[in-house]
Amino acid sequence: MENTGTTEVSDHKEIRQEDRSISDETDTGRDQPHGVELTPRSDMAKQDANSDKTVVSEPELTESTSGDSAGERREAVSMTRKRPESKAPTQPVGTEQQLLGEAEKESSSQAAGSWGYWGNWGKSLLSTATATVASVGHGISQAIEKAETSLGIPSPTEVSAEVKLFDGKGAEFDEAESSPKAQSESSSPTSGAFGMFSTITSAVQSTGITVLSGGLDALEFIGKKTMDVLAEGDPGFKKTKGLMNRNTTLSQALREAKEREELLVADQVSEDTEKKAHYGMLFDEFQGLSHLEALEILSNESEGKVKSVLHALSGQDVENLKEELEAIKEAFSLVEFDEEEEEEDNGGDGSEFVKELCELLSELNIATTSDKLSKARKNAHDRITEASNVLSAQPEESEPEKGQGPRDEAKSGDLNKVQKYSVENIHTSAIQSLAELTARSIEQFHKVAELILHSQDPDVEALDRAKTLSKVTVVLCKEVASLSKQFTSCLTALGATEKVEVLNPLITGVFLEASNSATYIQDAFQLLVPVLQVSQIQSRSNTTTR
Amino acid sequence: MEAIWIYQFRLIVIGDSTVGKSCLLRRFTDGRFTDVSDPTVGVDFFARLVEIEPGKRIKLQLWDTAGQERFRSITRSYYRNSVGGLLVFDITNRRSFEHVRHWLEEAKMHVQPFQIIFLLVGHKSDLASQRKVSREEAEKLAAVSGMKYIETSAKDATNVEESFTILTREIYGLLKKGDIGIQEGWEGVKSGFVPNVVHSSEEAVKPGRKCLC
Repeated sequence: MENTGTTEVSDHKEIRQEDRSISDETDTGRDQPHGVELTPRSDMAKQDANSDKTVVSEPELTESTSGDSAGERREAVSMTRKRPESKAPTQPVGTEQQLLGEAEKESSSQAAGSWGYWGNWGKSLLSTATATVASVGHGISQAIEKAETSLGIPSPTEVSAEVKLFDGKGAEFDEAESSPKAQSESSSPTSGAFGMFSTITSAVQSTGITVLSGGLDALEFIGKKTMDVLAEGDPGFKKTKGLMNRNTTLSQALREAKEREELLVADQVSEDTEKKAHYGMLFDEFQGLSHLEALEILSNESEGKVKSVLHALSGQDVENLKEELEAIKEAFSLVEFDEEEEEEDNGGDGSEFVKELCELLSELNIATTSDKLSKARKNAHDRITEASNVLSAQPEESEPEKGQGPRDEAKSGDLNKVQKYSVENIHTSAIQSLAELTARSIEQFHKVAELILHSQDPDVEALDRAKTLSKVTVVLCKEVASLSKQFTSCLTALGATEKVEVLNPLITGVFLEASNSATYIQDAFQLLVPVLQVSQIQSRSNTTTR
Repeated sequence: MEAIWIYQFRLIVIGDSTVGKSCLLRRFTDGRFTDVSDPTVGVDFFARLVEIEPGKRIKLQLWDTAGQERFRSITRSYYRNSVGGLLVFDITNRRSFEHVRHWLEEAKMHVQPFQIIFLLVGHKSDLASQRKVSREEAEKLAAVSGMKYIETSAKDATNVEESFTILTREIYGLLKKGDIGIQEGWEGVKSGFVPNVVHSSEEAVKPGRKCLC
């Protein structure tokens, strides 16, 4: 009933179950050599076998050795963590512990002497960043629909499906399956956004594990803070968990997260760098929470209206209207990230973004502008420019005083800046930019909702608006991905001399908040469904009364 | 922005279109005045900290509503979660003053089961020469409706700070007396976080926290 995404997911689940029995016994999938031309199906089987392996084969070890410590650590996580985690159903806890245990094992096996390797993961992660963020986001939108149909009660298969979503690779496969185009692409490593994933599972899989154990290694050194970031290394997983339990709203979850941060900050007032890089608090300072709450109010009210209208109608009228409303809802599930080049070579100043956004918003034909979003994008760009100027001004240790350019008088100032400009600064800028862009995106959706509900004569069909808005969402999420990429490039470049245990958590942090940002944007987008449905009902009654 | 505050109050700002609600808020939160501004769409948000006693800060979360009739239905949903409000009229616009009663009635209707504390604000006091509403009649109306009255100007920054401080103090007083309490599922008043140091020495500040009536 929902859409293709839903069926895809459940379909996938079943296959998965079969695979589990196979993989438990023989591990057939894993024996496939990498790089062989695989059909997406068999790729998937392999994938599933792998992820099953990850989860299924470990529990004895975890339960006995790390059950308690994992529990404690999770408490620490909920203390420090910024990202929303709604009070979750109990089932996934076990899984989480298993994951932790698994990760722990992973890290201990990798621990000593492997820093060189981990020093690289940031960079390799970098190259896959855009696609990862995009696909995670996409996975989540499907998860939402799945959660909606499941009435909030996760079945064991769903819980395991969550695990599959962990690190976003599940979404990858849903994608590959649902579109024939993607299917053909996934066999060719060079084409399309998923090209880089298409030798497929090995690359993705190792990225995921790398993130996890890279962070865990660092954990040994810097403690809980990373753990906190880490535990969120699975946006899909957490998020799905949250959505399964639908009685907490997004703004509630975010508010709780922000409050936790405030509590934390209140405890450690002295550390200002800490304070600056708290996504949740920044998000609130940019009024993201308020707009989200207001949007939720509108959404809920609209939902109520839709229900009462449907209730009041009967017979064929209901069926017709239901169909129309369903069509609108469908348009909301079409959020897909263009298969065309994910790598935007527009220099990253965001002008392309602003232009695209303006065009789309004008298609909506409501009096809204992208001014605030453009400004947020510009701020982000300025921060990046500042960081890269510092970078380029940074004297090479090997060749001092060479080719410093014409701005000689500015040089000493720049050098001063270099001192001040640490990787932490860039990290802070990145988090700030992401929080600002996300808050403004949600504000934009809020304004759109208000205007759609109260624009006098809708000469644009609700359905067309839904489609346009879904494009807007894609544009926004892409920009989030692109920003995080630019910032992490800066981090990697400037942090070349930093210790990995300093640099890695920062890079991870940026990627995670980027992926969270994409999730919030998409969740906020989903809140528009009932709003557009109400608008559809309104325009209907307008035409009939005329 | 300093992150530490003992309470957060949500205040709503209402009144006819073009009386200067957004300008008042912009002056209060930003310290700036703009002569021209677009009409507010639905609701917008501002925030600022106010120090009501030395070391005691309250965060004001300000909901700036659209005065335009077409957004009225949106605005209505927001009364319920506000602990206080500024009811603004333009002293050079008689009609906006006459509408004060309607605004009050509407607020009363939608705020239940909670209560909301209003301050009546006569705005644009810099335009005294064009005044259409006398201070006396405004004060009278305020007294009848159980509000305080203040005249402000966002343009020359007259009484802007004061208006918000007066309202905040009034709410804080009621909170201390226990007339208002923090309630689950109500956004009007939220308890903030106090650093540990302050915590121990100022236990008295926190009675509201326990008052979960």
